[in-house]
Amino acid sequence: MASINGGHLVGKYLKEIEKIDIVFGISGGHLESILDGFTEYKIRTIDVRHEQAAAMMAHAWSVYTGKPGVCFLTAGPGFTNGLTGIANAYLDNAPLVVLCGRAPIRDDLKGALQEMNQIEVVRPITKWAATCHDIRRIPEYLSIAFRNATGGRPGPVMLELPPDILNITVDESLVPMPSRSNPKYSVHPDDADLKAAAEIINNARKPLFIGGSGVGFSRCSGQLEQFIEKSGIPFMLMNYGRGELPDNHPLSVMDMGNLGLFFSIGQNDVIIAAGLRFNWLLQFGKIIPPTVKIIRIDIDPQEINRNVEAHVGLVGDTGSVLDQLTPLVKKNDHSAWMNTLKSAGRSLLDYELRMRETASDPIHPIRLVAQIQKFVGDDAVYIADGGDTQYFGLAGFMSRQKAGVVASAAGLLGCLGTGIPFGMAAKLARPDKKVVVLNGDGSFGFNGMEFDTMVRHGIPVVCVINNDCAWGMIKHSQELSIGKDRLQCSELGLIHYEKMVEGLGGYGEFVTKDEEIVPALERAFASGKPACINVMTDPTVTSPATPLFYQSLKM
Amino acid sequence: MRFSILLFFLYKILRWASKHKPAYSNYIGSIHEVRIMIKTADGKHGRLFIFDKGAVSSRSGARQGYDAAIIWSDAGTGFRVMASRKDEEQFKAAAAGRMKLDGMAFFAQWFNDGVKLVM
Repeated sequence: MASINGGHLVGKYLKEIEKIDIVFGISGGHLESILDGFTEYKIRTIDVRHEQAAAMMAHAWSVYTGKPGVCFLTAGPGFTNGLTGIANAYLDNAPLVVLCGRAPIRDDLKGALQEMNQIEVVRPITKWAATCHDIRRIPEYLSIAFRNATGGRPGPVMLELPPDILNITVDESLVPMPSRSNPKYSVHPDDADLKAAAEIINNARKPLFIGGSGVGFSRCSGQLEQFIEKSGIPFMLMNYGRGELPDNHPLSVMDMGNLGLFFSIGQNDVIIAAGLRFNWLLQFGKIIPPTVKIIRIDIDPQEINRNVEAHVGLVGDTGSVLDQLTPLVKKNDHSAWMNTLKSAGRSLLDYELRMRETASDPIHPIRLVAQIQKFVGDDAVYIADGGDTQYFGLAGFMSRQKAGVVASAAGLLGCLGTGIPFGMAAKLARPDKKVVVLNGDGSFGFNGMEFDTMVRHGIPVVCVINNDCAWGMIKHSQELSIGKDRLQCSELGLIHYEKMVEGLGGYGEFVTKDEEIVPALERAFASGKPACINVMTDPTVTSPATPLFYQSLKM
Repeated sequence: MRFSILLFFLYKILRWASKHKPAYSNYIGSIHEVRIMIKTADGKHGRLFIFDKGAVSSRSGARQGYDAAIIWSDAGTGFRVMASRKDEEQFKAAAAGRMKLDGMAFFAQWFNDGVKLVM
């Protein structure tokens, strides 16, 4: 009889049952046999320089591939370093599977190395967290972990695996391995609710469809396209839903931006919100007047009436709900309304549209974005990370790719530093696409060391730093709230991040003038290396996101 | 002329509200020096509203620096839409290209939301 150790069982399950080909983490003594299991079962490992980046990469992997992402954290500080990434995945509803080392159970309460109650720490920011105590149950526990991560509304899970079960062997025939991964299932709304929703849609004169991350995780571009093209409803896709239909789709009103959405949302008579939470970014739904009829589609019934009461709630996976709804919807043409929305958007964004076309000294951030877009094009993946920076990235980048424009720091955790891990995961998931990370200079500091990871693993992401020498959003918020003469902890000064990247083996450029932007991009992509273009931008420019942020904290 | 008079009275109302309407004075609250311009595209008519730590002040004229501006194609449109006090009219004006925003667009919305608290 062949024997197998616990770590190899982990690798075997991941590869053979869940078809996992890549995992993210940092090595550690507690995980040694799992690491060898990855080798044994030919699972690619991306070892990073801080565990938060591993969790963020696995989270991003789920966004760019539609499959759960897996990260491994060693016990103690490896675990605590990963917490920010886990919390971010929790608030973003991303299917993240965390495999975590642990001090030996044998040594509990003795003062073992890295002994701490990890499960109770992580429980509030996971859908499920448990410790496996029996080597023979490793596949069963992993199956439960994946089921929880991907079932219903997705989210992170953590499985703690102690050396007591990883570093022993068992007769392989005694360990039952599931024959296949967990079956997928979907919840469907009531027929009466579907009919009610269709009636509202069929009678709408000024409707708008807004899709969020639930659209992205549903991977429902086909169903969405059928619904949009039959109903003729203009649409805007946000968060991880963006790109499920391309930004340049004839019915997309993406170009009116979030600002246009804010100004115009009350002018619609019907809003269909799918996989989208009415959270602080939508001012908890207060920006929608009660006269507007709201249809909400969400996989989580708790979201249907959260903050704003929906006229009709359709509980279920967005794709399967649209499958059922589309046959009930009449073919319609709302192109006149769409043109009105777009025209209004252009007037409201008049200033930004002009700045995109105008060379300026110092460089306006939206001009920087426009120049990047012009050079890189729309068959690329863009990530924006920062405060003001994420606004300019979201407003200025356009892509035909799924999740082609993601503001990784614009989730509920507002987690700066996610841009570089997201960029790495995007490049690994779509190696044939150009990947650009637009980073604020503040947020670059959190995971800038991951350029070493990119160099070691050959991940040529181009990172453009929108460098205003400050924590810009905080600085401008302080200017509004406490005054320009009392700024505190919000200025960073000029730092040559590109030199740091060169030191790590990447490509670096420093840009101060408008005409230098495109040539620097050309050289950065031509280098074939992970690249950092450090662009000095106008430190006085404030994005519309800053006063929104400021207002949200005003009591 | 009617447009300029409307802007002048708007200033007087906002100034009064900043002192006597708690909801409005709390709304403009502690914000430090935000300047909102309302003007016509030709620059012939305009008024600057300045909000600074709860105080409202104003200056007539369209040729002053601002953080955000609401720019009307002409004084007649500006008067008609502003006097209607309807979001829908403002939206229609934007869609028709008769109202544009300049600078920090969010503050234009902030200004309008504040006016709604007073009116």
